[in-house]
Amino acid sequence: MFNEAWLTHFQQRLNADPEMAVIGDWFTVSISLSCDEERRVLRFERGRLVQTILTPKLDAPCAFGFRANADIWRRFFSDPPEPLYHDVFAMLMRVPGFVLEGDTLVAMQHARAMHRAMKVMRTVTPS
Amino acid sequence: MTLEPIVGRYMTLRVGDAEYRIYFEEAGEGIPLLCLHTAGADSRQYRHLMTDEAITKHFRVIAFDLPYHGRSNPPDRWWLEKYRLTTKAYLAFTRAVWQALALDRPVVVGCSMGGAIVLKLAVDCQQELRGIIGLESSAFAPGRYNDFLHHPAIHGGELAASYTYGLCAPQSPESSARENWWYYSQAGPGVYAGDVHFYSIDWDGREAIKTIDTSLCKVSLLTGEYDYSCTPDMTRQVAAAIPGARLVIMKGIGHFPMIENYPLFREYLLPELEFIRAF
Repeated sequence: MFNEAWLTHFQQRLNADPEMAVIGDWFTVSISLSCDEERRVLRFERGRLVQTILTPKLDAPCAFGFRANADIWRRFFSDPPEPLYHDVFAMLMRVPGFVLEGDTLVAMQHARAMHRAMKVMRTVTPS
Repeated sequence: MTLEPIVGRYMTLRVGDAEYRIYFEEAGEGIPLLCLHTAGADSRQYRHLMTDEAITKHFRVIAFDLPYHGRSNPPDRWWLEKYRLTTKAYLAFTRAVWQALALDRPVVVGCSMGGAIVLKLAVDCQQELRGIIGLESSAFAPGRYNDFLHHPAIHGGELAASYTYGLCAPQSPESSARENWWYYSQAGPGVYAGDVHFYSIDWDGREAIKTIDTSLCKVSLLTGEYDYSCTPDMTRQVAAAIPGARLVIMKGIGHFPMIENYPLFREYLLPELEFIRAF
């Protein structure tokens, strides 16, 4: 789902996002994206995605992350999105298999930028 | 310059033991149409409806800010009491507004928590109302409350605004969804949480709504297909419990029809207003 090419594409898209440039000053955090057995870590600094780790080990800490199976992620990336899969908060409320892992306090402290990052992510369809 | 027909005023209202300075605005003439905003927001959400001549030529449209919201003050000594909206207080306050303004058999339209309390109004005050229009109405909506809605380590305005932004349909115009974002970012600390207390903890109308008599008080229920807070199925359950209720599931709309996509919403709303007007 989240292969190297996709991560690069998302990185380029997010780092060119004019809104994140405005709101991202405090968005310095690492998050994980997990799909089935696959797990990536994304490191953000001041709203920019500065590093993506394809095979994170013990030395790649992250504050929080999102986990789901491939079917759920595919529905998240569908265009137009079906109801309940159209937004990260919608999925957290209505899709039981979509899980917010880690420190939810940190996630909600970054709610605005996190939400923006996930919205930009939706525009980058995995192959 | 464009001068809008909306006129805003203040009134002082006594409800129970407290006195409130309340802001309301209005436009149009005719059947009173009282508009109730969503949790943590204010009457600005109805600004498009109030400038729609197809509506204001038949209806006197009035929208007010609940206490603690928008330009309505909390009651005196508010700092000594945690804000927690209840079904009883919400109903009493809404009724006090239409009585203070001497509105004769108004139609009450409310969205989200407003869509919940209009159901209760139709239960308790059906002789006084011409009808209700419930936008995103549910009779029971547990699970919304969480402690992060009012937390010292979280910007409550940004959290509520970001969360509710996701309640809009992805097809809604970006500028309109962002306008609602802005309104949500401006609530006082703990106000959204206090409203959610009503909507998600205190409110349970599942049995009471079965007593609504639609020969006395018309009921129209409109819910957006992208609403994940009050899903279409939740409103279908409400409609099934009220014989004679009209149900419309709005394609391409989320939780805030009157502000997130008014041009599309009015296509669904106008037939319901016409139906109630003919009553």
